[in-house]
Amino acid sequence: MSGTLRMRVFLVVLLISSAAYMLKDTISYYTMDETQKEDLIESGEMDEIRKNIIHQGLDLQGGMHVVLEVDLEELIKTRVEDGDAEIEALISSSLEEAQNNETEFFPTFAKNVDATNIRLARYFPIYEKGPNSDVMDALEADAKDAVDRAEEIIRNRVDQFGVSEPTIQRQGAWRIVVELAGISNQAQARELIQATALLEFVLVHEDPQLLDEVIRNIDKAWAADMGEETPEDSIDIVAEADTTVDEVAPSLADVLSGDEGDSLSITGTGDVGRPFSSLINVGSNTIWVPEENVRSIKRKLEKPMIAAAVSSDSKLAWGVSPRDITGDGRMHRALYLMKGTAELTGDVVTDARESLGGFSGAEFVVHLSMNDEGSREWTKITAGNVGKRIAIVMDGNVHMAGVIRDKIADGRTQIEGMNDLQDAKKLAVVLRAGALPAPMIIEEERTIGASLGADSVAAGTQATVFGFILVVIFMAIYYKGAGLIADIALVLNLGFTLAVLSTLNATLTLPGIAGLILTVGMAVDANVLIFERIREELRNAKTVKKSIDDGFNRALTTIVDANLTTILAAGVLWQFGSGTVKGFATTLFWGILCSMVTAIFITRTIFMVMTERKTMTKLSI
Amino acid sequence: MFELIKNVNIDFLGKRKLAGMISGAVILAGLVSIVLHGGPLYSIDFEGGTEIQVLFTESTSVESVREALSDIGYGDAAIRSFGNEDEFLIHVKTSTKSEEQVNTIREALASIHGGGYEIRRLETVGPKIGKELKGDMISAVLIAMAGIVIYISIRFQFMYAIGALVALTHDVLITLGLFSLLNMEISLSVLAAFLFIVGYSLNDTIVVFDRVRENAKEKRHDSFLSVINLSLNQTLNRTVITSLTTLTVVLILLFFGGEVIKPFAFALTVGLVVGTYSSIFVAAPVVLAWDENQKKKKNN
Repeated sequence: MSGTLRMRVFLVVLLISSAAYMLKDTISYYTMDETQKEDLIESGEMDEIRKNIIHQGLDLQGGMHVVLEVDLEELIKTRVEDGDAEIEALISSSLEEAQNNETEFFPTFAKNVDATNIRLARYFPIYEKGPNSDVMDALEADAKDAVDRAEEIIRNRVDQFGVSEPTIQRQGAWRIVVELAGISNQAQARELIQATALLEFVLVHEDPQLLDEVIRNIDKAWAADMGEETPEDSIDIVAEADTTVDEVAPSLADVLSGDEGDSLSITGTGDVGRPFSSLINVGSNTIWVPEENVRSIKRKLEKPMIAAAVSSDSKLAWGVSPRDITGDGRMHRALYLMKGTAELTGDVVTDARESLGGFSGAEFVVHLSMNDEGSREWTKITAGNVGKRIAIVMDGNVHMAGVIRDKIADGRTQIEGMNDLQDAKKLAVVLRAGALPAPMIIEEERTIGASLGADSVAAGTQATVFGFILVVIFMAIYYKGAGLIADIALVLNLGFTLAVLSTLNATLTLPGIAGLILTVGMAVDANVLIFERIREELRNAKTVKKSIDDGFNRALTTIVDANLTTILAAGVLWQFGSGTVKGFATTLFWGILCSMVTAIFITRTIFMVMTERKTMTKLSI
Repeated sequence: MFELIKNVNIDFLGKRKLAGMISGAVILAGLVSIVLHGGPLYSIDFEGGTEIQVLFTESTSVESVREALSDIGYGDAAIRSFGNEDEFLIHVKTSTKSEEQVNTIREALASIHGGGYEIRRLETVGPKIGKELKGDMISAVLIAMAGIVIYISIRFQFMYAIGALVALTHDVLITLGLFSLLNMEISLSVLAAFLFIVGYSLNDTIVVFDRVRENAKEKRHDSFLSVINLSLNQTLNRTVITSLTTLTVVLILLFFGGEVIKPFAFALTVGLVVGTYSSIFVAAPVVLAWDENQKKKKNN
């Protein structure tokens, strides 16, 4: 075997083996059963696997795609005070004009306002008085903030959607795209997306004994719950469950920055007698759960039997942002034991803004203001609980648990301890979200039921397999030996395409499957071009080897030119298409690219190996 | 050697006038239909509106669904039985707030059998997004076409680009016309199929052009007409085989791919047939005509 040929064979083997490796996760993911999947989710390995597989699009696994847009009409009309027919007509006509001309609303509105003698400050007393342009800017900022708030509310509810990987994206300035795959209750999901948020201020229990007791109760309930599943273990577990957890007093750092710098008592892991406490760390009145255990603990805590282990006047609530509290790069989520009822709800909040402040004047803080009624309550709450933590809870998730340093008399509160401006900004949005409605309308919704998705998968797979087999048979009959080589290339082409899609973590949609089928049909094109050319050369009485060489060489430019245009079209489609159409573009693009590699490089290598030793006088083509 | 077509020497270009007449007639019929329909028939993707595929637990008649919808003011809703007696596709025109629309429709559906239904697919698009999508897709088709013309002008000559462009426009017009004649809606996925047709039709055209370019170099003394004819005949086997394999899979998709993909598969099927035809009977004659025109100009 010549050097170049050896190199080619080596490359082919390398290509095939790396494709097989890239496909490994996808194949194992789609062939495993539900219990195996559950196990992998519990152990946290699933996240890694899901990074390297082909995902099913919403149209295949069922799901919901929702585009929300800020309801400018609603928003602006609620901001207007002492409105009259003139301003209302102006708003309505501007909205209509913007929609008909596909222009932005605010420039259109500004233009229309300029055409009249209206003074906007008169209708929008909630903004600072100023020329029309200032009011307009304030109104636009207000509308943008509504989108921010809505996004934060939806993100905060991610867990409640009950799907593994919801995506929430901003599209332009005014829209939010929410995709929920495999959703079972559409109506509930739609409500969750649109409902207003409940913001609460809840006191955190600062009682180590109470926390200890709760942990022990959960341990017991959990062990009993496990016992139900495997009765033979139950006796042991109850006996061992009576273990105390070391408690450490709050560190000084708490006072300044919430939970930062907690001292920890790390308990052993894998202890059967203490199924709950063996999975957590406990420090200064807060439970810290390593990220990998969050999912399994959440599930257990949702069970009524275990939830009942927390006394009725208390509740457990999760912190939203993970922290590296052990300092070794392992992220933990906080689990707070707090009072069962809220001290105050978010509707008293009038505003919350991020800024620089604090002792040094260079810390990231949030300024929170409340209305009169809220301020009075707040004074009472803060006066009676100095030194304790109060949690800012949105829809059940703790966004911040700060220590009350002093009585706050005027309702103007400064919240400190944010890591950066981004954190401060986020907290301010959360605080505002609880108070101000964020009117959003569903501009687009596409929901596919799981049963229809399953039907599509079945039909698509059937069509692909059927089409594939027909093409393979046709090639083998028409081109005989060479046809079989083309068939090998066809199998490899399908494998390569799927391998690339796995590595790209691509989403396969129904049009995507169609793209795959089309590539099967078109992939043979390159081989047909080559074989027809070889046949022509053979007719011109050239030797087999010469015919193969000339056939490949002369067909090459044609193949590249012809396929590049289809790839070009696929690229444009990918750029402009949305959702499922993008899936079509993706499979088509990679399918054709792979078909060029298999047809030009791999089939040629096979031919080269065949003609290498003996001088062939006849070619089966 | 097993060949479909042996030693052919068909005078394709000799039939270019006939082909031109056929193409012209089909395009005209399509255009007339589009004009009579007041423009192409767009789906909710572009027009806005709501489409609901609903499966009832008991068999239901179109009439009872229509009645329930009339009660809530959607008497003009299009209702189509979907394969069997209990599954329907409901199409409601756009209104300002799609959310409320969906909720009232849900209530109406629930009233038919006291709640025994499952919504298998629900798509609702606001008029605003529909308009934007239309703009996006039209620019996608135009950009793809422009890119292709530029690519061919660079790789071949400008006259080939003109030939390809005329063929592409021909394909898209015929498919558009056929959709209008058959009263089929143009949705996002159908437009995606159009873009695929643009790519595929070109693939075919380029294979022919490539041969023309090669033969023109080798057979300088032959007329351009006979060079093109020779090239068409030489590539005929490949054209037929590739089209057949691709057509096979697309037909399988059309018949076995399920209801959802049907319009998409149909657009692909039409595009494939028309695209193959146009690379032989439209693209090549246009190149010849352009070439003859240029030569005439030179001689004058």
